[in-house]
Formats: sequence, C-alpha cells, structure tokens
Amino acid sequence: MSDGLVKILDGNTFVVSDEGGDIEASISDPTGLFSFDTRFLSKWVLTVNGERLNPLSVDDLEYFETRFFLVPGTGTVYVDAKLSVIRQRAVDAGFHERVTIFNHQEDQVDLTVRVDADCDFADLFEVKDALRKKGSYTTRVERNRLILRYTRETFERATVISSTAPARVDEEGLTFDVSLEAHGEWSAELDVSVVLGAWQRATARRGRANGPKRSQPSMERDLEHWLASAPQLECDWDSLKATYRRSLVDLAALRFSPPITGGRSLPAAGLPWFMAIFGRDSIFTSLQALPFAPELASTTLLTLGKWQGTRLDDFRDEDPGRILHELRYGEMTAFEERPHSPYYGCADATPLYVVLLDEYERWTGDRKLVRELEYEARAALNWIDEYADLQGNGYVSYQRRNEKTGLENQCWKDSWDSISYRDGRLPGFPRATCELQGYAYDAKVRGARLARLVWKDPALADRLEREAAELKRRFNRDFWVEDDEYYALALDTDGSQVDALASNNGHLLWSGIVDKSKAKAVVRHLLGPRLFSGWGVRTLAIEEGRFNPIGYHVGTVWPFDNSFIAWGLRRYGFKDEAARIAAGILDAADFFEGRLPEAFGGYSRTLTKYPVQYPTACSPQAWSTGTPLLLLRTMLGLEPHGEHLVVDPALPVGIGHLELLDIPGRWGKVDAFGRGRVHVERSERLRPQLGAPARARSRRKR
Amino acid sequence: MKRPADPTVQFFADLGRRGHEPLLAKATGSVRIDVRDGEHTETWSVSVNDGDVSVGRRRSGAACVVRVDRSLFDRIVLGEENAIAAMLRGALQLEGNLGLLVAFQRLFPGPPKGRSKGRPAGFAQRRS
Repeated sequence: MSDGLVKILDGNTFVVSDEGGDIEASISDPTGLFSFDTRFLSKWVLTVNGERLNPLSVDDLEYFETRFFLVPGTGTVYVDAKLSVIRQRAVDAGFHERVTIFNHQEDQVDLTVRVDADCDFADLFEVKDALRKKGSYTTRVERNRLILRYTRETFERATVISSTAPARVDEEGLTFDVSLEAHGEWSAELDVSVVLGAWQRATARRGRANGPKRSQPSMERDLEHWLASAPQLECDWDSLKATYRRSLVDLAALRFSPPITGGRSLPAAGLPWFMAIFGRDSIFTSLQALPFAPELASTTLLTLGKWQGTRLDDFRDEDPGRILHELRYGEMTAFEERPHSPYYGCADATPLYVVLLDEYERWTGDRKLVRELEYEARAALNWIDEYADLQGNGYVSYQRRNEKTGLENQCWKDSWDSISYRDGRLPGFPRATCELQGYAYDAKVRGARLARLVWKDPALADRLEREAAELKRRFNRDFWVEDDEYYALALDTDGSQVDALASNNGHLLWSGIVDKSKAKAVVRHLLGPRLFSGWGVRTLAIEEGRFNPIGYHVGTVWPFDNSFIAWGLRRYGFKDEAARIAAGILDAADFFEGRLPEAFGGYSRTLTKYPVQYPTACSPQAWSTGTPLLLLRTMLGLEPHGEHLVVDPALPVGIGHLELLDIPGRWGKVDAFGRGRVHVERSERLRPQLGAPARARSRRKR
Repeated sequence: MKRPADPTVQFFADLGRRGHEPLLAKATGSVRIDVRDGEHTETWSVSVNDGDVSVGRRRSGAACVVRVDRSLFDRIVLGEENAIAAMLRGALQLEGNLGLLVAFQRLFPGPPKGRSKGRPAGFAQRRS
C-alpha cells in the first residue's frame, strides 16, 4: 500500500503492520491489532537469531489475509539468503499467523526464533489524539501461552497469544528453539485472540469465547458468493470493469456485522479507522448500493432503528427519534470521556433514514420492513419538526449541546471552516445548511408516500405533503441568491444568506426541493468553471473566500458528493450533464486503480492532468466505494417505476456499450443495456479516458 | 424532582403497569436483571412479547441476563448513568442477547440535568 503499511481486516477487527508484518507502535502510531475500537497488540516483532527480517514481497491474498516473504538481515544489499521466512496472517476475531522457515543450506542449522509481543490497549481515540492510559497492566505466562491484560476499575481487555509449537514463554514474548535439517522446513501456528471482558459473551458472536472462529475457506466462499450475487457488468471499457470489481470487493471488506444484527451486515464508514456504525455513512452507502446489494439497506435500517434516540441527553446530543452519528466500544466511550455510546450529533442521518426506507421499498417492494419500521420512521419524521427546528423558523438546523466533545458541524461537511460566506466569514450557530432542508423535504414527500401506501394513514400523508410543499416554497424564497442564481450554503442565525457557492446545490437537485424554474441555473453552476474541475464538482467554488483546492471541504472534489449530484441531475432530466460527472469521476477512479479516495484535489483537470490525491487515513472509504455503483445507476438511468425497472441510458461516448445483468429488485432480476452517446471532448489523454478538460460539451450523437 | 426512595423498585412497578411499550415492539424474549446489594441479590424478570411487557420476580432462565449493583442500577433508572457505557466498562455485566439489552435500555430516562431541548431562546418565528 502507498503508505508502506499493510492492512487486513474482518469486521471491526484489523491489523496494521509494516511490510515485514511487524508491529511496533507508539501511543500515537497507528499500527497494531485492533478490535472493538481498542488496540490489542502494539508490538509484534519476529526475529531469527536476534536479527530482524527483510521483506522481499507482500501478497495481499484477500482483504482478510496476507502473506509476507522475508529473509534475515535488514541490509539494503540482497545477499544470497541461506534462510527464508513466510508469515501468513489472517484476521479473525484476533489473528492467526503461520510462521514457516526454510533452510536453503546443505547443513543443519540451529536457530532462535523469537516473537516479541506487547500491548498498550489504547482506545482508537487515544491513538488519534495521543492520550495517556489510566489503568494498569498485568502479564501472565503459561505453557505455550502469554496473556496480556489491562484493567481500569471494572473495565477489562486482554490479549491471549498461544502457539502450537513448543515455545519458551516470558513476559515479553515467545522463543522457539529450532533445529533445521539441510533443506528442512519448520513452522508454528500462532494465535492471537482478543478478550473483551465481561460483555464478550454477549458480543463476540464469532469470537473465541463463543465458539469457533470462522475458517478461511468459509471467508473465501463468502467473498465469492458476494461477488457472484452482485449484478454482472459487461462493458467495452476495461477500466470500468476493474473499478466495478474493486468496488464490490472493497464493499465486501467494509461489511460489518455489529453484535445486534444477527450476523447480517451493513456498510461501515471506512477502513480501518472507521469500521464502526456511522448513521450518515451507512445510509449514503446503502443508497448507492441499492441496485447491487439491497440487503445492506435493510440491515442499516434495522440496526439504526434499534439504536434510535429515545430521550434528551445533552452529552450524547440525543433526542427522541434521532438517528445515531457514531457508535464506539472503547475505553474512553466506556468511561464517558467520549460520548459515542452512541453519539447522536448529526443533523442529516434522521431525514435520510426515511429517504432510504422509501427508496428501499421502491427497489425491493419489501413492505414488510416498511411496516416493521413504521414507529421508527414516524419518530424520525417527528424529530425533523419537533427537535431539529432549533430556531422555530421552520428550518432544520444544528447546534451541539455537548460543547466539550460533541461535533460542531453536524452536516456531512463537518470541518470547522466548511460553511462560510463568500467573503470567508463563518456564520454562527444554530446553522441551517441548505442540503438539510432538501433532505427534510424529501423525507416528508417520501414519508407521505409510505404513509398512504403502507401505513394506511392518509391524514399523515396529507399533512406531510402540505408541509413539504410549504417548506419548498419558503426555501426557494429564503435560500435563493438572486443576483447569481444559486442556493446559499446556509442561513445564519439572523436569517441572512451564507452565500458561498458550494456543491451542496447538487444535493438539492437530488432531494427535489429545487423549483423547476431554477434548476437550469443551478446546473449551469454545477458544470460551470467555478465548481466543475473537469474531474468532478468541487466542494466549494473557486473565487470563494475560503476556496483551497486541497482544503478538506473547501475546494476538493469528493467522489461520493458527485455521485449524488449526478443522481440529482438525472432527477431533473439533465442526463448529459450527469454523464459528464460520471465520466470525470470514473476517469479519476482509473488513476486510483479503481479505488476512489475520499477526496482529491480541486485543481483544474487541464492544469494537473491527473487527480491529486488528498491524504486521508482511511482507504477504502465506504461512500467512495459506493460511488461507481451509483454512477452506473445514473448512467444507465435505472429508476424503479411501479413493479418495473425503467432503463434510460445516457453514457459518455468513451463507453461503446454497457450491460448490467441480473439487477435485483421487485421485478426479480432484469438486465440493462446502454450505448455511449454523450460526447465529452477528449484531448491530451494520459491514458484512455472518458471525460476531459475544460470546454467539454454535450452533443447528441444520434 | 424528588428522588424516589427506591428507584429500582419504582422503575419495575411502573414498567409492570404499562402493559404495552411501543419502544419494545420489535423485541421478543425475556430479560432478567439480577440486582446485587452487598450479599443480597434481587431479581426481576421482564418478559417482552412484541411490545407486551410483564414483570415478575422469578429467577428463571432468560435470553438476556444483566448483573448490576443496586447503587448503579438506581442511577441508571433515574437517568444519572448510561446503561450502554456501564456495560462497555464492565460495571453492568451482560450475558446473552445484547439486542434485547439495546431495546430495553431505551426505556431508561435521559440525564436529569441533560435535558435542555436544544432550542436557544428563540427569536425567530416561523416565517411564512
């Protein structure tokens, strides 16, 4: 991997090591074995005769398994090695490692093989913020077993290291005395298990305490099954096929079965640091993946419903009906030094919950789930009016009540400077960002449909529709920036327009809150030079006071953002423009070998010729992984209509033909076909690309 | 608000009177709560069947067994402590079905001092 770190994972258990397989972490260094948001190994170093090993190569076999080829000595010059070592490691409720040593000599050799092990039991939050521990450590040496343990009051976490081969165990590791014949081979199986204290029995469904670990063949079968049950893509543009496959494999890796889902999976937010339930990320990713893996949506809806807020709790920013932002299991959460048990400070997940429920029904026809979640959906709809209208002005806004450890910005652009005026000033709190109003509008419209269709409550449906229409009318008056014809980013506390031009306008198209008469002007901006970089729509337009092409939410291009913008463009009938966005983002994906990053630089495509990666800790990121999936949907114009799937393709001409076979839904399985026709100019290509710079224009080919 | 003399007893008495609880509508199973008070343990068994709730005192098997000190559980039912955080730090011990506990803990109130509905002194009225 690009950062020289090797990562493998299964659910929220993951290992980050160097390219030799060793772990040597400090408090702030992000390597180690992690599970349930706690580090369970901070040191894991293999030596032979006291010498560190030098990596020759690393095979990423699967997302949960890696093989390291090593030779003794760390010199830069490769001398003919007399020994070689293979470490094969797989994650599974801890990890399992087989160390094999080969003697390439004619003579017998005696070796001292040593694994040094230690653990700081850091909470993920401590690793991020480099904080110190408050509990105490103990170590226990047993026969072929080393137990590392951390306790703080009733809190307990432990790591159990055991070996199949006889070992001399001391408090700092395991030593093997190995005698190798000429051309002989020796191996040992090392097992590292995590123990979560008292609640493990209830949580670690697949954990040691509860039964056998999953076997590697079963994990491989699971991955094969996952790939085989997704729609098959046929296409004459190889890059897209590779991107599609990458997305499916990464989405498989990002699947996460929290303890209460009964073994079903939902998408976690990002690998490895965000392998947790995040309301917003799980919902957006489930929406993107609906035509491909609709079961992710149902698990997301059920799980978030189970954790839906029921009370007012300022520390957790919890309200009745609110959908959680993030759930964590580590020490700081346990001792309420962080509010993530769960934390609810997020203003969009709740309306988006209703949006996902409706979209899920439109695709799958699963009314049973809609009936089952009626209470939760009504509570979410109620939250919008009852708890989110902080200023009593009929708009959703946010302001944290936990001022110490709560989140200041509770929209997806959650960095401190993401919401600004054109001149760079920051508004006060509460903040009513524009996309939140769009989501609230969409939630009401969709909630009305479900109320009429499934809950048989026409009175509720009428009321929601009335409120939605009223919200749309006021929104189009209060947020519309008259002189430049786009929607303001937010309303300030005094009702004035926070007037920077931002990508949020695209989400407004997606929500349907945009007046038809205003859509054209909005689209002109989205595809215009201030917002469109040639690769995609920037988070913030150039010329804005805070614009910075490598500023997190103030100028970079976010693939996920663009996928929803493309959906919005389709919603308002701007097919060709949607195809241009798809072309730009999918071209960028090719530069990242099919794995779109969370964000990349907002430089103009003509300037850099390649997308400039923005450094992020997590890769793959769930909603970036879902982006190519949603773009396939928008390019093919897939839209459920009653019991049928409508296909209305608009592909960039670089794609001659595109077939998506076996799309699951209420129609059973259907195939969609499309041919390229939206012309996007191609010049100065570094490699075969779809969309290209600057004066790109749309032209109907036939 | 005056603190009840025996919050735990009060909590289960109130719950028993409720009959149906929509927050538990999707839960089915029994939760047994063993409340320790020094040497002495008191048991409450809550049976949930699609939201219909009944409370008993029999020490029977249950899908979800919670063990907790009296002083902590008193604070939990008053909203002064959070059940999930307590579980994560092992102060509340759980055996069995976590999903039932997640459903059940929704019945606990929020913190008495943390209930400011986040609406600051509203100056803006709904404009229409």
